[in-house]
Amino acid sequence: MNVLRWWWGLVLAFALLALLRVFLPLPFANEIMIFSIYTMGCNFLLGRVGLISFGQPAYLAVGAYAAAFYLYYFGTNAYLGILIGIMAGIVVSLAVGALFVRLRRDYFALVNLALAVIIYYLMQKVLADVTHGDNGLWFLTNLSSTPVLDLSRPDQFFIFSLLVAFAVCAFYKYLDDSIFGACCLAAKINEDKLKFLGYSSFGIRLVAFVIANTTTALAGAMYAVYLGFVSPEISSPSRAADPVVVTILGGVGTLYGPIVGSIAYTGMKDLISKVFGNWELIIGVLLVFVMLAGEKGIWGTLEPLLKKALFRAPIGTRHDGVTGG
Amino acid sequence: MIDEHLLISGIIFGLSMGSIFFLITIGLSLCFGLMRVISLDQLLYYTVGAYITYSISLATGNLWLGVLGGMAVGGAAGFAAERLVFLRIYERDITFSMITSFGILIGGVGVIKYFWGLVPRPVPDPIDAQIDILGTDIPGYRLVIIVIALLVYVGIWLFLNRTIIGKAIRAGIEDIEHVEGLGINVYRLFTITFIIAGGLSGLAGGLHAPLIMVDPQMGIELMAFAFMVVIIGGLGSIKGTLVSSFLVGQVVSLGSLIYAPLAQMAPFAIMLLILLVRPTGLFGSPLLKR
Repeated sequence: MNVLRWWWGLVLAFALLALLRVFLPLPFANEIMIFSIYTMGCNFLLGRVGLISFGQPAYLAVGAYAAAFYLYYFGTNAYLGILIGIMAGIVVSLAVGALFVRLRRDYFALVNLALAVIIYYLMQKVLADVTHGDNGLWFLTNLSSTPVLDLSRPDQFFIFSLLVAFAVCAFYKYLDDSIFGACCLAAKINEDKLKFLGYSSFGIRLVAFVIANTTTALAGAMYAVYLGFVSPEISSPSRAADPVVVTILGGVGTLYGPIVGSIAYTGMKDLISKVFGNWELIIGVLLVFVMLAGEKGIWGTLEPLLKKALFRAPIGTRHDGVTGG
Repeated sequence: MIDEHLLISGIIFGLSMGSIFFLITIGLSLCFGLMRVISLDQLLYYTVGAYITYSISLATGNLWLGVLGGMAVGGAAGFAAERLVFLRIYERDITFSMITSFGILIGGVGVIKYFWGLVPRPVPDPIDAQIDILGTDIPGYRLVIIVIALLVYVGIWLFLNRTIIGKAIRAGIEDIEHVEGLGINVYRLFTITFIIAGGLSGLAGGLHAPLIMVDPQMGIELMAFAFMVVIIGGLGSIKGTLVSSFLVGQVVSLGSLIYAPLAQMAPFAIMLLILLVRPTGLFGSPLLKR
């Protein structure tokens, strides 16, 4: 029963998201969906495995460029492009993950940033013959219309991204409840005890790293397909902290945190840059306040209140499936 | 082979660049060593220092006055950030301080944009004289920067080894609880360290201002390099910071002579290599208490 109830919650949340489409302009809604997927990977790393990565744009760029290369040079099918982006994400994160997850947490964060910078310059200068440097690759006209959901049209792309976000969210929900999820949490909280139980903390971290960054690569491939354009700007170091900021803003380790955070962040960025033209100030001040308030984030603060209002049942008596860390 | 004159000016260029890196990252390194916080807001004080230098040197016509002002404001900003924000997060996890200080950084960049706008500002070079080294003309100002950085290193070394506060700071890097047990107020040490770090970052910004255009993003652009320097040198080590900042400066400068795109990527490749061989950097301590 408990499981059913939480699946119901997930469906309700995404029904609400679909409703957003009515109120919000389409590009904005699409941006939110892709950004949510982007943040979910970071959220899993940060909230479940305790690895903070300042280099998520690196994996975003891997996915985006893999999809872009395929769509620019070889094919026209957007679905296949996204699939190739995912594959590239798996390959790259397996290769670098094996080196990175051994490092201490603080070094891990910095090394990922370094990877983002390397990929940035790789795409901007070193591989400029293939990537066209700062001009980027434009392939919007290359996209052929695909069956079922035509990804070259923004309104159908929204339905697709909503479904993908739902699938990713459900997948992470499933992971949270599985033994693997528990192991990840143990790797975050007490690594020694995890080893004592006979699990390899390296293996668990590596798998978690690959899962999270494949999600990020998926988001990158979707960006590429949606915009029909990729430039090195996507892995720019100055945007390195975006997913971390959104994760914290939404609430670390919560299921819906990334979505709430993405809506809040994208919305604020849009609104503030239109009204004041100075979004950094607000975001920065907000970030400091969210951190000082106790790392719970928007959703982490709202969730208990919502539960109280909706169920009126004493919270402590029921098994809490969503938050856990 | 590379032209000799080009090589010499490249080396000097790298040294001056390394000096700027050193002045910024010494704050990061000290803060990490003593307080176990990663203080990205040093890059904000660097930017603030550059802007104060710009404004004062525009008003008075004297760059050095501006640099002093930038240093003072950087120190004051560091003090304010420590009192208002960092004081509350010393107990938390290290990644926590990283995110919080990043918030301070981008918030501060917003403030700078509010006061000075988005347009990059030029700061005139104060020393026109070219100095002859081995038959190559070198801009005098770059040599001044190198000398100042070395003086700062000597000053920091004397401070940490010859004064009682410095000794307490060094002891605190080793084992904070014992220092506390001796009856020394460690929170005052933290504040002092933050003021020094902020002041040096402000100094770096002021000195760097005539060499580049001053713009709001200058700190964030340097973020990756600052990270890299502290990682290669080892978090918390002053000597390591000096060595690695000159190393990175040389790699950037000489790398760009050989093959331009290499200049930006080579330091990162070196960093990855060093991390794989020595996961704590060149001079970092392998053991981390707390």
